[in-house]
Amino acid sequence: MERMQARRRVVSVWLPEFATDRLARRREAGGPPPFPLATPRATPLATVAQIRGSHRLAAVNGAARRGGLAPGLPLADARALLPALETFHANSENDFKALENIALWAWRYSPSTAVDGTAPPANHGASFGPDCGPDYGLWLDISGCGHLFGGEAQLAADLISRLGQAGYRAQAGLAGTPGAAWAVARFRADDDTPVRVVPPGGERDALAPLSIRALRLEDAPARLLERLGLARIGDLYPLARSALAQRAGLGPAMRLDQALGERDEPISPIAPPPVLQVRLKFPDPIGLADDIEAALDRLLPALCGRLERAGIGARRLDFTLYRIDGTVSRVTAGTGRPERDPDHLKRLFREKLDALDPGFGVETALLATRTAEPMAAEQQSAGDAGAGQDTAALGWLIDRLANRLGPRAVTAIAPRESHLPERAETRRPLVRDAAPAGAPVNRNTDADAAAAPGIAGRAPRPLYLLPMPEPVDTLTLTTGDRTNGPPGATGGPRSNLDRGAPPVTPMAFRWRGRQHTIRRADGPERIEPEWWRSLVSQGPGNEDRPEGSAATPDIPGNRDYYAVEDDRGERFWLYRQNGPDHAAPAGALRPGAPPAPGRAPKWFLHGLFS
Amino acid sequence: MSDYLNSPLRRPPASPPYAELQVMSNFSFLEGASHPEELVLQSAALGQHAIAITDRNGVSGLVRGHTAAKEHRHRFIPAARIDLTGPDFQGAEDNDKGRSETHSGSGISILCYPRDRAAYGRLVRLLTLGKRRSPKGQCALSPGDLTGPDFQRGAGQILIVLPFIQLNNKFNQFLINLKKATKAEIYLAASILHRGGDRSRLEKLADLAARAGTPLVAVNDVEMHTPRRRVLADVLACIRSGCSVFEAGFRLKANAERHLKSPADMAELFADFPDAVARTVEIADACRFSLDELRYEYPVDPVPEGSTPQEELERLTKQGAKERYPSGVPAKVQAQIDHELALIGDLSFAPYFLTVHDIVRFARGRGILCQGRGSAANSAVCYVLGITAVDPARLDLLFERFISAERGEPPDIDVDFENGRREEVIQYIYEKYGRDRAAMTGTVITYRTRGAVRDAGKALGLAEDTIRSLQVAVWRLTREDEVTDEQLREHGLDPGDPMVRLVLTLAADLRGFPRHLSQHSGGMMMTRGRLDEIAPIHNAAMAGRTVIEWDKNDLDALGILKVDILALGMLSCVQRAFGLIKSFHGREVTLATVPPEDPTVYDMLSDADSIGVFQVESRAQMSMLPRLKPRNFYDLVIEVAIVRPGPIQGDMVHPYLHRRDGKEAVDFPSGELRDVLGKTLGVPLFQEQAMKIAIVAAGFTPAEADQLRRAMATFRNHGTIHALREKFLNGMTARGYEPDFALRCFKQIEGFADYGFPESHAASFALIVYVSSWLKRHYPAAFACALLNSQPMGFYAPAQIIRDAAEHGVVVRPVDVNLSDWDCTLEPGPASEPALRLGFRKVKGLREDDMHRLALHRGNGYADAAAVMRRALIGKPALEKLARADAFQSLGLSRRPALWAVAGLPDRPPAPLFLAAPDAELGREDDRGNAPRLPLMSPGQEVAEDYRALRLSLKAHPAGILRPKLTAKRYEPCAVLLERAHDRMARIAGLVTARQRPGTAKGVMFITVEDETATANLIVWPHVFEKFRRATLGSRLLGVTGWVQREGKVIHLLADHLEDLAPVLLTLDRPGGFAGDSPAAAETGRLFKAREFQ
Repeated sequence: MERMQARRRVVSVWLPEFATDRLARRREAGGPPPFPLATPRATPLATVAQIRGSHRLAAVNGAARRGGLAPGLPLADARALLPALETFHANSENDFKALENIALWAWRYSPSTAVDGTAPPANHGASFGPDCGPDYGLWLDISGCGHLFGGEAQLAADLISRLGQAGYRAQAGLAGTPGAAWAVARFRADDDTPVRVVPPGGERDALAPLSIRALRLEDAPARLLERLGLARIGDLYPLARSALAQRAGLGPAMRLDQALGERDEPISPIAPPPVLQVRLKFPDPIGLADDIEAALDRLLPALCGRLERAGIGARRLDFTLYRIDGTVSRVTAGTGRPERDPDHLKRLFREKLDALDPGFGVETALLATRTAEPMAAEQQSAGDAGAGQDTAALGWLIDRLANRLGPRAVTAIAPRESHLPERAETRRPLVRDAAPAGAPVNRNTDADAAAAPGIAGRAPRPLYLLPMPEPVDTLTLTTGDRTNGPPGATGGPRSNLDRGAPPVTPMAFRWRGRQHTIRRADGPERIEPEWWRSLVSQGPGNEDRPEGSAATPDIPGNRDYYAVEDDRGERFWLYRQNGPDHAAPAGALRPGAPPAPGRAPKWFLHGLFS
Repeated sequence: MSDYLNSPLRRPPASPPYAELQVMSNFSFLEGASHPEELVLQSAALGQHAIAITDRNGVSGLVRGHTAAKEHRHRFIPAARIDLTGPDFQGAEDNDKGRSETHSGSGISILCYPRDRAAYGRLVRLLTLGKRRSPKGQCALSPGDLTGPDFQRGAGQILIVLPFIQLNNKFNQFLINLKKATKAEIYLAASILHRGGDRSRLEKLADLAARAGTPLVAVNDVEMHTPRRRVLADVLACIRSGCSVFEAGFRLKANAERHLKSPADMAELFADFPDAVARTVEIADACRFSLDELRYEYPVDPVPEGSTPQEELERLTKQGAKERYPSGVPAKVQAQIDHELALIGDLSFAPYFLTVHDIVRFARGRGILCQGRGSAANSAVCYVLGITAVDPARLDLLFERFISAERGEPPDIDVDFENGRREEVIQYIYEKYGRDRAAMTGTVITYRTRGAVRDAGKALGLAEDTIRSLQVAVWRLTREDEVTDEQLREHGLDPGDPMVRLVLTLAADLRGFPRHLSQHSGGMMMTRGRLDEIAPIHNAAMAGRTVIEWDKNDLDALGILKVDILALGMLSCVQRAFGLIKSFHGREVTLATVPPEDPTVYDMLSDADSIGVFQVESRAQMSMLPRLKPRNFYDLVIEVAIVRPGPIQGDMVHPYLHRRDGKEAVDFPSGELRDVLGKTLGVPLFQEQAMKIAIVAAGFTPAEADQLRRAMATFRNHGTIHALREKFLNGMTARGYEPDFALRCFKQIEGFADYGFPESHAASFALIVYVSSWLKRHYPAAFACALLNSQPMGFYAPAQIIRDAAEHGVVVRPVDVNLSDWDCTLEPGPASEPALRLGFRKVKGLREDDMHRLALHRGNGYADAAAVMRRALIGKPALEKLARADAFQSLGLSRRPALWAVAGLPDRPPAPLFLAAPDAELGREDDRGNAPRLPLMSPGQEVAEDYRALRLSLKAHPAGILRPKLTAKRYEPCAVLLERAHDRMARIAGLVTARQRPGTAKGVMFITVEDETATANLIVWPHVFEKFRRATLGSRLLGVTGWVQREGKVIHLLADHLEDLAPVLLTLDRPGGFAGDSPAAAETGRLFKAREFQ
């Protein structure tokens, strides 16, 4: 029997259309699995990235490739060539995250798997030079694992087939060195077999006919070698390594040695995410609520200690009771930011403990983090104790409220830049969804709010704004006779275009059954409707979409606001609603008739100054 | 805008008169939302007393406003808004602005109205001062400048100070101080824009005005002529700050009150302050300065003691005539000269002629080739002065096209100079007149359709993809066209989407809006007095240049002198060829001594053998030449003029050819038109003819005819073309002409607006056509050599020029380290003819000074690459490029061994200390003599590498190498077209050298392909184009099946089926199929880049 131990065997998986496969998978997620694998997807898809100042294709799927497109092609050219092309923004960060998941999944084959995306781009001829997206692949060190799957070739075939069923086109190389496996996974003479196996010791022969690009070279030395006519790996065999290194640098010589197994190349395997858990076994089953709470009290400090040592904080935690009848009862708590304070976590759980059902008794309690995020060690505050603790305390309050009411229910008011009073503020949830791993966590990222200043010189706003403007009846003495109006207001707006009713400030108005005689008035402040809001129903996905239902298609006219004071010294904010606007877009941009004459202006009360 | 043009408005001023004094036009660049013309017209229609335009720190919109006001008899006040900066006002709130709305500075703004010419001059000088202090596009002026001695402390100016939005003591103090320090009349602006609190603010302002002694004046802070422009104003605000409307927030205005209002409205708004309204009229009436006063300020060149410029001009003319006509001046010419001199005298244009004459004399003295073009060639005086080169004896001149007493405007003299040496002429002018009196003309860069769609789309937050699709959808549109729903759908857009429609509407409004100022390529203006008292001067991006704010049309409209110092690549080429002929053949030739009317030259042109020749080398010209068969100089004039959008749009080309071939009778629509159209067989081909038709047949006055031409050439978006069109068509039909003929004539004038050639201009160009043809015919090697050294220019890539030279028997030799110079050179050839040696300039990426050094240190030649590095201190990257260009052949090193040797050298040349070391020490021991046996390159690889390094190959044509593969696909050589009969099928393949889709061709695409045997011209109709879109647009090696179209010697292939042969092309440098691609191989397809023309 051979010494299996000594022989290293490596699988390199290449996912040539990973980015677009992922898109297609997402799109078909509604449909019933399994996804059709071998059938080529009909729609040409591509991802687009901004590369060297211009939009270029980062990845293309089979249909797009057959249509003549390739990564690196400028988007404009691609559109000219293939008008039916669908494009999406490239997101290599998410791609790599998804690839990491696949690498973890591949643990079913080998405990040593790694993401391979570090290869320099432009390694394969189907691209347009160095201007394309990253290359996606996996490494698996399967030394000694093959027999579990009926042989190493079968293992690789199974891997490729399963990836295929999941919607990822993949092909693999299997060899004694990572370099050789990488090369044969991607660079083939003619064969289209999903798995290419290099027999042990056969690397030299297998690589000889392949392009030197199969050595994962940097672009510059590879080009030089090609120019010298040394285009295949076999061409390099007779060269003195020193002559080669003098001209092409150390890279090619090193990669060649690694591929041929004359120099070692390690694979750094991916590590699983930290899932921390602590458990407590009871000698006798427990069932009382106090006992369960006591168990939690013992588990929480232990878990938090481990979280601290790992430098992470929990975002979601499960507290699970294993009952003697073999069933479980579980509650979950979430936090707004990474947390590892036992007291705080305790408070979050305490409100949920009632939901736990111990059944006929609980024999084991388990506390585990379901989602965790990095969390810097906290300085035990010396001196200025207040600030940090206040922040933390507010955070805890928010967490407790959010756990009780639901995460979207806890909001804060933020200013919004809008001239329309009722749109000048907005509510934002304070608890965000779990952040992507590694992203900085900061509750005060409300950049919009921070950037919104007041607006210089604008007339003051009332302290209290009615939830809805309320119509009021007005009394006007004589139209057109400005001198009869209350002092303070300039003549109302009138212009060459009929943009509203004649300018008059009322002498009195009736609101909620009470008559107010206007003594003084200031105004008008004219505010136009926001014409663009009628467009967003079909416009871009903008978060500034009006709340509630779809945008109203017809835009009301502008409003003239007046601050008025009545005979009792109370001050109100009234506005007059003018007719439909001249400047309404989309068709109404070049208006025809002015608003129908005779339509009386409508007056509304919108706010109170006192 | 037209609403007001046609409406019977002009309300009777029942209310007190009002003049609008604060108006920002779109020449405040992305700020105002209306054109100056629109503002002026609206102001007139509203019955305002007058309108001023006060653009931010500039006067570039004034001329347009002035012209429009003149046309509509409205009072126009030239003025400017000055944004003050400086330490005193740091941190002051911006004046009447939301945040981020100023381009620069954040201080106080002042509107400045000069009362007279002198005050205007000082205002403009103040702006110049601010601009020359600051980077391009900015202007830095402090309050101290306003009260400084240079500005005469504001004497003669009326200033309106714009208050801060929140009044404070700082502002009050400023106002009081300014009042004390200046001699100007000072007013305080008040506007009621319905921002809330207007009343109390107004009272505070009135208070302040009384305290400071600066009377209150009503303004409306106008930024649009009608509130309908609100959406566009919002979009402009978004463009300015690079955000979408959804993110814009307070960068948008709360309302749209900043539009022009009627005097009645203003009176009502300011009912409590009627004085403030009345003062607007006082101010307007106090400003009596008009831009018309800027005319006729010619610089005067020194003339001999005791004589006037006119006498000096007459003397020079007489002297020049003697030189031009040694055997006596023909009577016709003498009569013309006398006529012209009299007119020049009447209009006092003599100084101008002397100025141009001086510039030309300077250029000639320096040996810089130059020639006048354009309408100046209508002048016999210009000819004898040496400004133009077309003999008036050979042409009918229309001197009135050049100068007319009625127009009373100075003529336009454009002179072409060798492009390499034009800068010398420009600097001479600067030196002679000084920067105070000479500057480059500005150019206003305006929005065009695609840019307008892009910016409007971004402002509405459209996705990048959608914007691109929209841009493509509008790509082919001219101004009248509307995008149809069908077109939108075709580009994957939803025609029902209001967003898409709105973007298109906005883009249509935005089109023609100025974006920024730039400099004209060659226009220079000079004046007698200080130029910076006419318009502000600012620094150009290019060092050593200053630019005036007004563009060519503005100067035209004001009748200000300018000379176009243009650069013409062909003149450089001709000059170079003359030099080569002198040094190699020992023959001295000049423009004047090229033998005229050489029949062999016309033979050559009639065969469409015109690659490299000036003007007539384009695809369209080449298919015209064999039809026109030029036999004399005047035929060339027609040839140059006929292949232009003017005659093509006017549908004049075919009638002319038919008549010339005798297939159609030459008749004239009327006797009066016989005189006009006689020499072009009854078909109008030249601009003058179109204008004369307007005069003779449509009853225009000459000035009106010229106005028509200008109306279409310049302010075409806002002019009064429709009225002129009606007048033209009605005039002609009333005189009994066919409406159809009238329409064609009008269309032709329309075409001339953009690309019109007057006869005189065509004649100037025809002369260069003739000279370059003569060079090509008799000195093909020198001509090709000069062409290659003058690149980039012309229609053809070097590969085609070299191929053409070789076909004319020129031996072309490769670039070589031991034999080439930077430029291409002539060296002794096999017979008496010289051979053409390619220069290092053809190798991509080499630097000129490196290669000069290489040639300098060459001595008896370099023995190896190391010697080049050591002796000429050439770095490794440059040596690599030389090796890749296969330039070591004379050393016995082919490309790969040379590259191996170079790659083994150190990165940098050795330090001087080691220069004495023998060459061998640069290379390593193991490299000398025993380089590895590198694989030989296949012919295909050699050619591909040649293209990579040089964009051409002397070794073989790529198609020749691929021939077996093309034959296997049943493609024939291009040469078969020469033999095949009309309407027969042919199937050819070739490299695409040019793709052209002229606007006049209704979507037809013209493609030129070539293989080792011949060049073929393809015509692709739109339906075929759509069917084979990818192959048509993207292919480098194109296979075509189609029908042969022969018309005389002109052969086209009417494409029926197109195939992208990229897979075949890719095999060029990949002989066997070996495992794996390489990027280098993928690039092969891109090496053969076609030239794209539109």
